[in-house]
Amino acid sequence: MSVETPAGSSATGVIHDLGYQRYDGPRLGRRRIVAALAWHSFRSAFGFGRGPKAKILPVIALLALCLPAVVNAFAMSRGNPRLVDYDTYQPVLRVLVMTLFVAVQAPELVSRDLRSRVLPLYFSRPIRPSDYPLAKYLAFTAACLVMMEVPLLLLYGGSIANVHGGAAVWAQTRALIPGLLIGLMWSVVLAAISLFLASLSGRRGFATGAVAIFFLLTFTLSEILLQVENSNLRQAGPVPVQGGPGVQIFVGPAPPVSVAEKVSGLFSPFTLMDGVRRWLGGREEALNVLRPGGFGAVYALVLVLITALCLTGLFARYRKARLS
Amino acid sequence: MEPSTAARPVIETAALTKVYPGDVTALGGLTVNVAPGITGLIGANGAGKSTLIKILLGLLEPTGGEAKVLGQDSVKDGEQIRQVVGYMPEHDCLPADVTATEFVTHMGRMSGIPGTAAKERAAEALRHVGLHEERYRQIGTYSTGMKQRVKLAQALAGDPRLLLLDEPTNGLDPAGRNAMLELIARIGEEFGISIMVASHLLGEVERICDNLVAIEAGKLLRADTIDSFTRATQMLVIEVEEGTAALLGELARRGLEPRPYQRAVLVPIGGDDTYDAVRDSVASLGLPLSRMEQRRHQVEELFRDEDQREEALDVR
Repeated sequence: MSVETPAGSSATGVIHDLGYQRYDGPRLGRRRIVAALAWHSFRSAFGFGRGPKAKILPVIALLALCLPAVVNAFAMSRGNPRLVDYDTYQPVLRVLVMTLFVAVQAPELVSRDLRSRVLPLYFSRPIRPSDYPLAKYLAFTAACLVMMEVPLLLLYGGSIANVHGGAAVWAQTRALIPGLLIGLMWSVVLAAISLFLASLSGRRGFATGAVAIFFLLTFTLSEILLQVENSNLRQAGPVPVQGGPGVQIFVGPAPPVSVAEKVSGLFSPFTLMDGVRRWLGGREEALNVLRPGGFGAVYALVLVLITALCLTGLFARYRKARLS
Repeated sequence: MEPSTAARPVIETAALTKVYPGDVTALGGLTVNVAPGITGLIGANGAGKSTLIKILLGLLEPTGGEAKVLGQDSVKDGEQIRQVVGYMPEHDCLPADVTATEFVTHMGRMSGIPGTAAKERAAEALRHVGLHEERYRQIGTYSTGMKQRVKLAQALAGDPRLLLLDEPTNGLDPAGRNAMLELIARIGEEFGISIMVASHLLGEVERICDNLVAIEAGKLLRADTIDSFTRATQMLVIEVEEGTAALLGELARRGLEPRPYQRAVLVPIGGDDTYDAVRDSVASLGLPLSRMEQRRHQVEELFRDEDQREEALDVR
């Protein structure tokens, strides 16, 4: 309910003596304005500029993702080898936490503005309509990147603190780099899909639901297909080898892989990304056992296609500058 | 209007036309010049006010004709125009869960004002609209009148040379309307910012405007200074108990332009001699006069009967 105050009604008993001052300083160009909007959105992805409640989820999500790195550092200090891989990290944890993060925070970036109908105010500023989704996308990709890479860097820091000699540090560094790139891929893809889905609704609940359901449903579907196929093949195939840190282990002659299994990962962004990771030479053992085989390029293609489609959709959403 | 005559128009349109898909004509060859100062843009809903504002902001390309805002072409220089034009939308456009200060600062930054300066200007703008005390409260806790002021403050934050206000008194109670109109008048007069106020209520904006532009169905009805506008819209209502037809004839014979209106006769007031002519007509016919009063056109009436009347005049 609105609070009735004097200002609402006959107001103006207030002081008005100081005159109006023109602004003669420098004005930012369009690029700097877009950068300012991106920075503002990036901060809001972590709840800054909002109340304390808005920070709870991003902080918990980031802590959850960092936990394995901390545990690993502790374990390594007791003489164990590195427990967590850079490129897969903790696959299931990462899938769940990142789904939660984008489902809750993507609507924070786009649905709020739709809901409060603030967009006309942006469009009446010296930027172009496409600058708005651009700034949002850059901001959210960066936010996802923080979620993905900070735990990896923590893992790296914890690992090199516990190994000795230049060669060992170099081995850790070499293993880290693909991990960082995988993190970049996740960020680019997840930000595109979740922002597009969230931009479809100004109702935050709907937007969050749409993003969460999309990711979880497709992921479950792909996992079920994988499991069905795997249960037949598991007995025949060789047991996957657990390799040491940074050591690439060739798993020997590939077991017969059915086409059904090869394509079963095509239905979810997460399995798609894992397929691409495998295609690019990543190690085994992530989301169940996904073996894209000769279909690796198809995984990459589908992934690029989905991302491009979502970005096109996102920009189309804002192409027409509406004032009402 | 002494200051207006010399200065260059802030808005110039020439044969401005906008046809939406499906052959919906929103603007049909609108040619109008708007002088500096406060201008009322009067039109019923759907008259083309919003379309005009969108074109002026460079957000919509006209189908034909051209529009210039502060000398800049609306199609080519939209970004430059939007840098110096502040816009206040008609509808709600404020997030509930941020403070007025944060919001206005952010919108100032979006107008290209760097960080610290944007903060200062936000505080200034909120003070000017009378929200100094409440500026750290979340906008969701504001009354409708206060929200309208925040909308105005965010338009002021970018230090505009021209403000486009779309129905700024919408949703306000009479006291709130007065306060808002006073505020707009003050911004126009003391801050030296030109303002165009779009409204469907002639009676409201005419109090604060120097000029009026009336449009209907995308066409210009009339554009003039407020003085000549009010003169032209003043009518005399004459009601006689019988002999209305005879009165109509007599008035026309005396060079007036009488029209039947419900049971009465309407005569546009040209000057003092209009009253004399009416008095003489009634007296010479010996009709029982039951009512004679001066009144203003209702906006809708104005729109209905002015369109065939005369060529539109530029506000120069």
